Amino acid sequence: MILENILIGLNNAVSLASLIAIVIGTSLGLFVGAMPGLSATMAIALLLPITFGMDPATGISMLASLYMGAMYGGSIAAILIKTPGTPAAAATVMDGYPLNEQGKAGKAFGISLFASLIGGVLSSIALMTIAPLLGNLALQFGPVELFAVAVLGITIIGSLSQGSTLLGLLSGAIGLLLALVGMDPITGTPRFTFGSIYLFSGIPYTVALIGLFSIPQAIRLIERDEKVKKAINSFTDKMLPTLDELKLIIPNTIRSSIIGIVTGIIPGTGGDTACWFAYNEAKRFSKNKDKFGKGSIEGLSAAESANNAVVGGALIPTLTLGIPGSSATAIIMGGLMVHGIMPGPTLMTEHAGITYTLIWALLFSSIAMFGLGLIFTRLAINVTKISNKILAPVIIILCVIGSFAINNSIFDVYLMFAFGILGYFMNKINMPTAPMVVGMILGQMLDTSLHQSLLIGQGSWMVFIKNPISAVLLAIALISVLQSTPLFSFIKKKIKSNKKEAVN
Amino acid sequence: MFKRNRFFVLLSVIMILSVLLAGCGSKETAKEVKYPEKPINVLQGFKPGGGSDTLAQLTQPYLEKILGQTFVNQYMPGATGAIAWTELCKKSKNDGYTLSITNTPMLMTNYIMNDEITYSIDELDPIANVVTDPGVIVVGKDSKYETVQDFLDDVKANPGQITVGNSGVGGDDFFTTLMVERETGLKFKMVPFDGDGPSWQAAAGNKIDVSFNNLGITYPQIEAGNLRILAIFSEERNDMVPDTPTFKELGYNVVAGSSRGYSAPKGIPDEIKEILCQAFEEMAENPDFVKAANDRALPVDIKVGDEYAKYLKEQEEAFTEIWNEVKDQYKN
Repeated sequence: MILENILIGLNNAVSLASLIAIVIGTSLGLFVGAMPGLSATMAIALLLPITFGMDPATGISMLASLYMGAMYGGSIAAILIKTPGTPAAAATVMDGYPLNEQGKAGKAFGISLFASLIGGVLSSIALMTIAPLLGNLALQFGPVELFAVAVLGITIIGSLSQGSTLLGLLSGAIGLLLALVGMDPITGTPRFTFGSIYLFSGIPYTVALIGLFSIPQAIRLIERDEKVKKAINSFTDKMLPTLDELKLIIPNTIRSSIIGIVTGIIPGTGGDTACWFAYNEAKRFSKNKDKFGKGSIEGLSAAESANNAVVGGALIPTLTLGIPGSSATAIIMGGLMVHGIMPGPTLMTEHAGITYTLIWALLFSSIAMFGLGLIFTRLAINVTKISNKILAPVIIILCVIGSFAINNSIFDVYLMFAFGILGYFMNKINMPTAPMVVGMILGQMLDTSLHQSLLIGQGSWMVFIKNPISAVLLAIALISVLQSTPLFSFIKKKIKSNKKEAVN
Repeated sequence: MFKRNRFFVLLSVIMILSVLLAGCGSKETAKEVKYPEKPINVLQGFKPGGGSDTLAQLTQPYLEKILGQTFVNQYMPGATGAIAWTELCKKSKNDGYTLSITNTPMLMTNYIMNDEITYSIDELDPIANVVTDPGVIVVGKDSKYETVQDFLDDVKANPGQITVGNSGVGGDDFFTTLMVERETGLKFKMVPFDGDGPSWQAAAGNKIDVSFNNLGITYPQIEAGNLRILAIFSEERNDMVPDTPTFKELGYNVVAGSSRGYSAPKGIPDEIKEILCQAFEEMAENPDFVKAANDRALPVDIKVGDEYAKYLKEQEEAFTEIWNEVKDQYKN
């Protein structure tokens, strides 16, 4: 029965109309992904009405391909101009841009494409085979569990702090505080809005992200000596990874893909969280920890495979239960409803033809993304040849367009510039900006879920320990924190010396 | 030669006159207003792909056919719609070329609950309500409650302990819960979520005891067996769930839900308002439209012009009254 449906889906997906829809969807995705501020969610919402006239399977395939393409597209701008094209590509900046600075932009593109391919393919396979088993996981995550996820996420801040840990933690703490701006989700009271209704919904973190990453970069390009730039601008390296590199990144991408799939399944978390989780774990397991942040291909491949794996992961609860795993899948779900298909368990039975076409389309779009990506990045790489005097203003224009496009609000453009100036001075004192972004992404989740959990637990903090999932996640968080304290290295030394004694 | 020219001049004068007269004639039948002559802007207070966009995508193809003009959606998300509605009431021209999708109860509760939000429904001309999604009480499939009475009895035995999810402070489910508390004299533990989805998901996963939600949103899950419906907050039983009792049947007068429609800035010309109202009425009679709405689980509830205005006004009064009773718990 299942096998039959899989084959029907394959048959539908290889039709000319479907393949064209997949290629168009993926190309559009690559484009919107590469443009800072234009997100996959926005593009899917805008494309949605166009798909109404299409056959349901073709239309939905196009939307899913767009999602997949955009998840990769975000890394193009991240590597080239240190501006994440989508929030899910924020972690790509950490190692992608340093590689570009070392004249290895081609390599960075190749690695990120390869990692995205693995992430996309693995998540499609998970969706095709074990989706019904994993779908129920989404229902396991209520406020208590989400709080634990947010706490675990915050421990990442520590590992993102290059140089001074203190400054990194400070940056993360400011991010958490900034996430509190806006209407209190539980009481409805406006906090730190200064009477402006534009702040009622809080600070959109995409706006902050664009400002913090891109504006300082644009200013730096102007400040920097043109001659120095030209010297590092030759790229003769091969795009595809070598055998040695593959050995390094394959276990890494598989682990990151699993992280991406699981993060995708959890409602309310998507590519923007998954990339940081995967990056953090890659660093934890890596033998070359000091390379992270300075052009590590492990860090780059972790972030990129995770954000593409989110696509399939987020579709798992969407298709099996009708629970969107991310904001982009929420719109895809709306698209299904327009075609008269109620998301939920019937998707896997009654509408299996459409569902499996969609899953195959996702798999094909990963491959299309790899092919199109190779062509697209070859062209995009020419951006590094552009003079800084032209590139810097272009980046600023993209930032303005991007931050305006999010809510069609000029207020957000001012906000973006404010964060840009903040980011510039943070760079001057060597205070990392990435922890602030992580703080802003997780802060709102932390705040809401904490308050909800305490309501559910009748005010008792024990609710977090009584719940098995949250207890385990919080324990991991605790170990992560202890790992970087002197206590942990003391224990490690003890164990080592004990072992030595045992050998002797 | 000259005579011939005069003949042509005369002929052309007659022709022009007849065209003008014909024009006058047709003008008279259209009450001297030609509308719409250019695309109509629709301000949306929520993100593309959300509930208000769903309504736009559902209605606009039919309205475009009736009116012969296109609609241009302008998304201005933020402050639960207040940014777009402030724009509509304070800054938009009342020439009929700017409309907005107006959602209850947020349209009213925004300014009832926040002094910083300054527009009010007195500054707009309601055109037509399109859908109303009735409120429902749902529980997870494994819940210990079989009937709504089980639930109410349990609340009576454990006042303030039973967790009840809603879609957020100021939303319809939040106010429905307050109305039920007032009618029954019971006390719940209210847990606000970020939207209807997370609220029913928490109930389905047994994270909370019950969720106050909406029929259209939870219907697929009720069908699939992930949720069970205990009661519906409508005047009469609903055909989609004929076995579910209304809350009124239990003797408590609570009728609630969320509705979405179109409104214009205050003072648009009567003729234009009339044309728009007629367009909505015509759309409601189209079986294709009704089917499309049913496919999306959107219960059609057309109320045009004054009827819609009256509906909004009554809701405004009800929400103001409830909020005044409870606001001290929420505002510091």
